Amino acid sequence: MLQALVGSATRWLNDLQRSWHRPRPSTLPTTPATSASITYAPLERVLLTDGVGRTLFEEFANHRAEARGEEETGWVLLGLREAREAVVLATLPAGAMRDASVAHVRFNSNAQALASRIVRQADRRLATLGVVHTHPGSLRHPSDGDLRGDGQWVANLRGKEGIFGIGTADGPELASDLFAYQPRPNVQCMRELRFSWYSLRQGDRSYRPLPVDVTIGPDLARSLHEFWDTLERHAERIDRLCRQQSAMRFQVLSDKWGPGLLLTLPLAERGDAVQVLIRPKEVRYYLLRGGELLEVQHHDEWVDRGVYLLLAELATRA
Amino acid sequence: MDFRPLNDTERRQLINALRGNAESDRAILMDRRDTSFLGTTEEVTDEEVISAIKSVPCHY
Repeated sequence: MLQALVGSATRWLNDLQRSWHRPRPSTLPTTPATSASITYAPLERVLLTDGVGRTLFEEFANHRAEARGEEETGWVLLGLREAREAVVLATLPAGAMRDASVAHVRFNSNAQALASRIVRQADRRLATLGVVHTHPGSLRHPSDGDLRGDGQWVANLRGKEGIFGIGTADGPELASDLFAYQPRPNVQCMRELRFSWYSLRQGDRSYRPLPVDVTIGPDLARSLHEFWDTLERHAERIDRLCRQQSAMRFQVLSDKWGPGLLLTLPLAERGDAVQVLIRPKEVRYYLLRGGELLEVQHHDEWVDRGVYLLLAELATRA
Repeated sequence: MDFRPLNDTERRQLINALRGNAESDRAILMDRRDTSFLGTTEEVTDEEVISAIKSVPCHY
């Protein structure tokens, strides 16, 4: 299988290499100084970046137009938990492999877990903040069933408090709805769509309306949404590989061949690495050795198995 | 150049930060103006984040 391990790098590969290794401007500001320990008080507000707000409204609208549009859907929220407020900086969608109906949704957490590893490469302060889910009807408040699950789940979160958004599509569609507005401090509306925000602390008997504000900033996970189906397909094996190879790094690509995820696994020699490029229709393996990028004629669909077979082959040649 | 002894709190914070850097790869923050010690970042482990994601309950 691996006799033709190393092929000569073609022109397009060189182009690709240049694009991979070109220094990329950081999308994040420098980390401000923070205290070593935060005392978490009850949340006074949730701050959404405009990127996150756009994702929620756009993807809720897209979801409703799909074949499964009558089902519930949702997102896990990542961001910064500060003493009295939380800033939401990333959304992790429920995924096509979610378990859902008109009355429930259980997220595909494998892809969300992998996505959290990718997003948190940029900032290790990002924490799980809460969950948004939708109701097909007009219930603008979490249900009793939600309370039973969330009441226990918030023990896993910073400050033992979570943020919960409910999306509904029960508002009047006005021609003048060119932008979102807030009829109440905890409610955002745009056209017929509405998100109502709540918080729940450990031990609370009910959710509390949580004022929401918007600031300028990204949805750090949005570039992953373009190929979420691909992430879902490979998530379990990539996550396993990541746990076994702690130095592995991720890079999200978007070029003329479409979106992709590049895994880089450093080798013993400085600068050398195995790279795996995952696109919706293929998995390709590369060897970066002595500053040269070489394509490996090895097309194992299972990423972890493919990497270990390649490492074994390299070990026999060392 | 100022050589000021650290007080007990500062010394304890610095030792904790150095331990966190050595054991958990946590960043140590430095004042860009005078390179003095500013503390550590409030980092969250992968395990904490992923455990919370994996345990998200079914919603209704």
